[in-house]
Amino acid sequence: MLIEGKFTLKAPIQQTWDFLLKPETLAACVPGAEKVELVDDRTFDCLVAASVGAIKVKFQFSVILTEIDPPSHLKAEGSGEEVNKRGTFTMQLTVDLKELPEENVEVYYRTDVNIVGNLATFGDRIMKAKARQVGVEFADALSRKLSGEEVVPSTGLKMGAGEVAASIAALPAEKLKNVFKRK
Amino acid sequence: MIKDFEYSAPGTLDEALSLISQYGEDGKIIAGGQSLLLLMRRKLVAPRYLVDIKGISSLDYINISENGDLNIGALTTHRAIETSREIQQKFRILSEMEENIAAVENRNWGSIGGNLCHADPVGDPSPVLVALNARLEIVSVRGERTVAVEDFARDRFYVNLAHDEILTEIQVPCPAPRTGSKYTKFSILEGSFALASVAMSVTLNAKSDICDDVRIALGAVNSTAMRAREAEEVLIGKEITDELLEKAGEVASGEADPIGDMRASAAYRKELVKVLVKRVGKEALLRAGKDSWEGSSAKSDGKVALLGRR
Repeated sequence: MLIEGKFTLKAPIQQTWDFLLKPETLAACVPGAEKVELVDDRTFDCLVAASVGAIKVKFQFSVILTEIDPPSHLKAEGSGEEVNKRGTFTMQLTVDLKELPEENVEVYYRTDVNIVGNLATFGDRIMKAKARQVGVEFADALSRKLSGEEVVPSTGLKMGAGEVAASIAALPAEKLKNVFKRK
Repeated sequence: MIKDFEYSAPGTLDEALSLISQYGEDGKIIAGGQSLLLLMRRKLVAPRYLVDIKGISSLDYINISENGDLNIGALTTHRAIETSREIQQKFRILSEMEENIAAVENRNWGSIGGNLCHADPVGDPSPVLVALNARLEIVSVRGERTVAVEDFARDRFYVNLAHDEILTEIQVPCPAPRTGSKYTKFSILEGSFALASVAMSVTLNAKSDICDDVRIALGAVNSTAMRAREAEEVLIGKEITDELLEKAGEVASGEADPIGDMRASAAYRKELVKVLVKRVGKEALLRAGKDSWEGSSAKSDGKVALLGRR
């Protein structure tokens, strides 16, 4: 399953590069990240949670940087499993940074993920959609953190339905329409 | 293998409500299981308590009131809606949509409420009910509330429903005079997942063919069924022509935000939206009683016209 995307950050390319590879940046900005640790200078150990509706998963995996060409290109390989044995996966990741005018940097990523097990039967339409959502949230958190904002790591789980209902119950009916208006 | 769970089958709504409020996040409602069981078998969902509400017969009904509003109990099966004479006559778009959901075996067992709560973005009832401006009645031990169908699904497989709430009724308002509606999904096999779907409900002016109101809902091209509001704006207040429908299709296609997967690319789905809006719009207009349609040979009856691919 091929997942790719790009986003633009407002920062010099070298600063973006250094920033992007710090475990604490990743831990704060990857949606659902519970742990991102540098084991040696090329290997990250990660624990990341994600959910789609009632389906909640947690992945434990390691990522090894195989090609590092600062400040514009890197390749990595990862492998791991879902902690409740619902699937295992391997992935290859490529990240390219491109300098744009006015100290902007375009970050392009391309991941080829291969999932085996129960999760694989879930279908790429859902995983791809989720991956896109995670990509957008990651880019957003990254750009906020780069600009110096405090970023609280997202839990990877949406607001629980109970909290939604509690907030609804507290609102008068005519306001409800606005609450759920998309966009 | 499915993970062990505690099963209960309450006979009344009150009993079911009290059970699920007790179980909270550990409980899950099953109302036919055409979607949930698949997830449970793959261990993607493993509820500790399963509350089977299928046996609550008070939630299985189809009523059309004197003023023409339609109320459907949440546990009504797809097949019951498909074959209801009253719905076929007065809310034809609904029975036509049901005809093309999965296989008859699934329709015999799956419920409309279960389908809506599962909130699969490719689901068929959702866009149709959005176009019809339907509302949902939701009940819990804390009380009841209603929510518009278009505000119910918040994301893929995620709805505006608390752990202690049950969807009880689908309320479809009586269409205004000179209203026509139509739904088409485009899928590779009959009854399979939509690559894109469009539902439209058009209301024409009593005295002219000016479009007084229109609701366009798109399915399978976003995280939930969505209104194509900008496309609606293109049509409202005007006499709808071929060119105008074409324009609305293009605008709707721009509003759609699909993903590409193994079934179809994002660009292909957007193109489908463009084509389907035009196709569905023409048929909805004919049903609304638009007198003539230049160059149109579409017949408003017959199954052939219902299927996206033909």
